[in-house]
Amino acid sequence: MDTLKALAKLARRAREEQTPVFGVAELVRLRIQSEGRPSVTLIPLGLFGGLSAAAASIILFLAVQLWQYMNSPIMELVAPLPEITLW
Amino acid sequence: MTNAPCQCCLADGLLEDQERSGRIAFVENIDWLDVTASVQGDQDAYERLVRRYEKQITGLLWRFTRDAVQCEELVQQVFVEAYFSLKTYRGDAPLLHWLRRIATRTGYRFWREKAKEPQEMPLPDFEIMEQIEAADEDRIDPSEAAAVLHSLLARLPSPDRLVLTLLYFDRCGTREIAERMGWSRAKVKTQALRARRKMKEIAEREHLLERLGWTL
Repeated sequence: MDTLKALAKLARRAREEQTPVFGVAELVRLRIQSEGRPSVTLIPLGLFGGLSAAAASIILFLAVQLWQYMNSPIMELVAPLPEITLW
Repeated sequence: MTNAPCQCCLADGLLEDQERSGRIAFVENIDWLDVTASVQGDQDAYERLVRRYEKQITGLLWRFTRDAVQCEELVQQVFVEAYFSLKTYRGDAPLLHWLRRIATRTGYRFWREKAKEPQEMPLPDFEIMEQIEAADEDRIDPSEAAAVLHSLLARLPSPDRLVLTLLYFDRCGTREIAERMGWSRAKVKTQALRARRKMKEIAEREHLLERLGWTL
């Protein structure tokens, strides 16, 4: 007999197997109730995210302000030295 | 003289078909009512759905693990995951198909996680096979046949094992496997071809036919 046919034959028989019955409905309900709660913990996370965003926007605002007043450090290198008349 | 069925037999068949399709439609309607109630927070409705499909889902997941504790855990996982994804169920396919898809993916994930664990691949339990001692298919105990097949399949890589498990145990076609896993049909076909070849090699290496007494 061909091996693959033998496997198919074995599978045909295996399909008739009685599978166990667990009765998980009650346990599923309990797990749903316990796993459903973590959505509440999203509120502190959102609060933290909001505060971080506010802090970041303040820093960004200050950075833009400072940028406008900042001179390029390279300009110091290429700018001609001021002539100082000693006498 | 032809062996065509008579009119009354045809009518009976038609009635049976109508009755069957009516029953399916009725069940689907009940499912839909329970689904909408569950989405609105009615946990009793969801419990009804779990009771209705628990047997089929357990049957499927039993192909992924033959450990009762692990299997029960997986069944629970499937129904919990299904509950939290229930809003995405559009009702364009029967609920059981949708649940089977979740169950198949859960089982596959379970295999992949187990494969990561550093453990030795267990050899097939051929003590079971020695007990079979039957040349006749009908004399083999179904659970022993399933155990042998399961232990042989366990020696394949997860994708190969999945395709053959669904083909052998669940009689799924390539289209259905592709739909359940979100794979292309071409991939499933290639995988099935490769998996069958590997499975044949394993079975021959383990002298499956000789042990089953099917060499004649």
